[in-house]
Amino acid sequence: MKWTRVLAIARKTLRSLKHDRRTVGFLVLMPLFMITIFGYTFGGSIKDVSVVVVNLDESDGNSSAAEAVLAELRAGGILKVERVYLLDPETDGYLGATDQAALVGSAVSEVESGDAWAAIVFWGNFTENVAQSVEDIGSVPTGGPGTITVYIDASNSNIAQAVMGEVRLTVQEVVVSEYHVLPPITVAEDRVYGEGAEFIDFFAPGVMGLAAMMVTFMLSIISFVHERSTGTLDRLLTTPATEGEIVAGYALALGLVGLIQSTVILVTAVALFQVQIVGSPLLVLLIIFVLGAGNQGLGFLLSSNAKNEFQAVQFMPIILFPSILLAGVFWPIEAVPDLLRPVSYFVPLTYAVEGCRSVMVRGWGLGDVWLQLAVLVGFAAVMLLLSALSLKKRR
Amino acid sequence: MKTSKGVKRRRVEKDGDAVVATKLRKEFGGLVAVSGLDLSIPKGTLYGMIGPNGSGKTTAIKMIVGRLRQTSGGARVLGEDSPLSARLADIGYMPQEMAIYTDLTVSENLQLFGSLYSMEREAYIKREEALLSMVDLSERRDSLVSQLSGGMKHRASLACAMIHDPEVLFLDEPTVGVDPELRVGFWQNFADLKARGKTIIITTHYMDEASRCDIVGMMRQGKLIAEGRPEELMERTSTSNLEDAFLEYSWRDSV
Ligand SMILES: Nc1ncnc2c1ncn2[C@@H]1O[C@H](COP(=O)(O)OP(=O)(O)OP(=O)(O)O)[C@@H](O)[C@H]1O
Ligand SMILES: [Mg+2]
Repeated sequence: MKWTRVLAIARKTLRSLKHDRRTVGFLVLMPLFMITIFGYTFGGSIKDVSVVVVNLDESDGNSSAAEAVLAELRAGGILKVERVYLLDPETDGYLGATDQAALVGSAVSEVESGDAWAAIVFWGNFTENVAQSVEDIGSVPTGGPGTITVYIDASNSNIAQAVMGEVRLTVQEVVVSEYHVLPPITVAEDRVYGEGAEFIDFFAPGVMGLAAMMVTFMLSIISFVHERSTGTLDRLLTTPATEGEIVAGYALALGLVGLIQSTVILVTAVALFQVQIVGSPLLVLLIIFVLGAGNQGLGFLLSSNAKNEFQAVQFMPIILFPSILLAGVFWPIEAVPDLLRPVSYFVPLTYAVEGCRSVMVRGWGLGDVWLQLAVLVGFAAVMLLLSALSLKKRR
Repeated sequence: MKTSKGVKRRRVEKDGDAVVATKLRKEFGGLVAVSGLDLSIPKGTLYGMIGPNGSGKTTAIKMIVGRLRQTSGGARVLGEDSPLSARLADIGYMPQEMAIYTDLTVSENLQLFGSLYSMEREAYIKREEALLSMVDLSERRDSLVSQLSGGMKHRASLACAMIHDPEVLFLDEPTVGVDPELRVGFWQNFADLKARGKTIIITTHYMDEASRCDIVGMMRQGKLIAEGRPEELMERTSTSNLEDAFLEYSWRDSV
């Protein structure tokens, strides 16, 4: 292995990219585009969820517990209360059971029609029941608690969780502020890692690995299909350049491309979304470089099974989908079904994402992510070795 | 391993051979592209291979330089069996297809090959200058190859094969699409190389070029049907040009 020849191959690969302005633009803008889009879609927290409220509580004014909860819900910002169904004041607060059911029915129908995510119902005697329960604390309960029913459209589980969480939290707060009852048990959270971390901190490392992987794989498979079909690969092999040197040269070049992209993503994520990088950014880049080199090898291997660029592109989804879905980019591997989980451990991106995430969020060092790095180095070594061997085989 | 022993004995007999092929054969599925080709080309020879399309010239060269695996038989270049490794530094190969990087400039292509042959910087700069003027691309050195004319691309490809001043040059139709004036220049250059003891194997469809070679090999259906100095070939067939000589040999071969 002669380094000058490896460098010559790497340089020519980067140079031909450089001459292609559009590709250069793509290489820089694609990751920028990815992190921005993902950042804005997933990065924001849920707010302004449309809900309707039915207040059947017979107490009103300052003494009403329902009004207190409602005011808190309005102030929270997560929920947007579109409408409140009230008791008819003319009948002086009293409604027959049929009318109550009709009121609840019209609120629920707004959920059914998709106009609201949830209908929050405060039942009759709400304030009375709450007050009684507070009085009963420490002795045998004489009645039931004040009840709120949330009729919810849980087709979007994120939203459903946000609504339920908000209602529960608000109720707790009101109990403390209005009735001065402190819950006897509190659970304190003290973050070991991820102080101040949000969802974007979780998936930014994933997007970085994904972008680097996609592009190195794509460039590699297309370049080599091209090299084969134009005969330049054959020509390179009639020079003293060995198979290993050619493959290493490409790996070096495409690894660097991966680095440039990761840098774009890191800078964007920090500048635009205040993503924090607790550990060493250099270690993150090292992980991405090794991942890029390995994917270059994979692209090379598959390129020998593609007759033209069109066939090469067909490999993209086969490689891409398992990586997007199973490697823990957007949701943790723990959420992957048991049946598929072993597959996750065969997807190299899994280790890159895990490694980058640990460094960026947990601030781990080389000594802590050595396993992930070792797996990636192994992947790259095997891929590059197989590539070199497959080049040795002649028609 | 009978064949390789045979080749070895032959090399001892004729140490001056740059290229040797022994019963070289290539089949593509059922198609026999090269059938039992025997060659021995002494060092310092300008060897011309002629023959109709599909007669196996390109296939033979690819096997000799080691880019195609022969079905049987063997080849040696400068004493090393194909596929070559140590001797790769001493050969230059210009494939029939363009096979240079169209997304690089002429000069970047030359630099790539120069580095792959581990040329010294100074030697390389001198050589690049000389070659570019030979193929008349000095002015276009910084043009992307994709923006050159067809003949210019061929010229750039030829320059890449010659950058390291190799001992043995395999040129597969180097003058296709090159204008007459430059072709004369090329052949002058080939003659100079030969005078410096280099060996050149050239395929061509131009008979005037073939007649400038020391030895001409005539290929037909994967076989060498005649081989000799151009005058010899014309004399033996009582013809006045190589074209007629080839037709005569073809006719004799087919009966
Ligand atoms: N990769 C291949 N697969 C199948 N057949 C091939 C392949 N390469 C060449 N052949 C066949 O081998 C035969 C010899 O081809 P070759 O390219 O050696 O001819 P040639 O003498 O160089 O012709 P030309 O003057 O047109 O360049 C042809 O019939 C061709 O179709
Ligand atoms: Mg040919």
